[in-house]
Amino acid sequence: MDRLRKKVRNLLKDGKVAGYLGYIMKDGHPLPHLFTPERPEEVDQAIVAPGDARYPLDKLLQQLTSGYPDATFAIQVRGCDERGLNELYKWGQLDPEKVVLVGVACPQDQADYCECAGPWPSVIDSGDKCAPVLRSLRVDRIDALSGEAAFQEWMGAFNKCIKCYGCRDICPMCFCKECALEHPDLMSTGKVPPDSIFQLVRAIHMAGRCIDCGLCEENCPADIPLRVLYKKGNALVKDLFDYDTGSLTTGLSPWKFLGEESGMETKPM
Amino acid sequence: MAEKEYEAKIIGFFCNWCTYAGADLAGVSRLQYPANIRVIRVMCSGTVSPHHVLRAFQKGADGVLIGGCHIGDCHYLKGNYMTIKRMTFLQDLLKFTGFEDGRLHLEWISAAEGPKFAQVIREFTEKIKKMGPSRLKIAPKAA
Repeated sequence: MDRLRKKVRNLLKDGKVAGYLGYIMKDGHPLPHLFTPERPEEVDQAIVAPGDARYPLDKLLQQLTSGYPDATFAIQVRGCDERGLNELYKWGQLDPEKVVLVGVACPQDQADYCECAGPWPSVIDSGDKCAPVLRSLRVDRIDALSGEAAFQEWMGAFNKCIKCYGCRDICPMCFCKECALEHPDLMSTGKVPPDSIFQLVRAIHMAGRCIDCGLCEENCPADIPLRVLYKKGNALVKDLFDYDTGSLTTGLSPWKFLGEESGMETKPM
Repeated sequence: MAEKEYEAKIIGFFCNWCTYAGADLAGVSRLQYPANIRVIRVMCSGTVSPHHVLRAFQKGADGVLIGGCHIGDCHYLKGNYMTIKRMTFLQDLLKFTGFEDGRLHLEWISAAEGPKFAQVIREFTEKIKKMGPSRLKIAPKAA
């Protein structure tokens, strides 16, 4: 923690950044907060958010930068947050030149809970690297089910949906101004639970974009296992197009370009 | 009396330049194929979003057939590169969620392939009829 506070203090003092987007402990609650050079004393309360009190900082940063397009901000990132930033750079939503990372490595229990394959960012200012979890047992379990059983399981989950749009609203990667989920020609309006395809439409958008922060699932009042769906989407994108979501080295998302040639074959009937 | 055969409802998204012209050729050649397919003409198979496919299933389609130009023959050069990316991904995602991936099929049919068009429609209709109504259609509604 001291290491992190020291780095933040230096960043603010040197005037390299207009602010640091992190967490503060206020009245016993960990809350997202923008630390500014004008109030350096606040940095003493800067914390690393506990695993069960995370916020979509990437999303807050997008709002900040839309108000202050020329300013540089520092931001606290976990492994997932950094993947999110990388993906947002690729989609043209943020400028990598104007973001400074303050990295936090997740503890082992967090990585196990998330089944996270990359629980630390490229810069670590707090915590130590732990063992990544390379296979998701939750996805494997559904994969092993028969078609009928999988369908029943997913229908049971989808029918609990109350269409609160919480998954979309908290998602750091959902930046569209118009949303397919609200398009009256694509999605029936005025009924709960919504169309069974509601979650699938979102899953399509999340493929190659979801950075597996898990906020959607934690936010869902109906406990729909959204994360399993999106993890599978990313696994498919990896299998089909060899694209690592949130990586800076594997080029653009397969949905962003047509390609020089297509080596894919249609599936037999 | 023999049980009445299930009449499947199939939605076809056909590209204006190849598959739709192929359908035209099948028509003027007077080739017979089942009338279970409802055709929607699109300018390019690459304009068919996975949303449209999912919406078709939601609205009660038992099968969805996407028809486009062969790779390399696209009127817009590379539109069908995106079609195959999207539809292959969607087939796999549907399989994962138990939606029977075989109900979505992608076929390249050129404007010269009238007989192939009739053949594909026959085979696909046969297959969907055998599969019966889609699970999404018969899924119990939540209370």
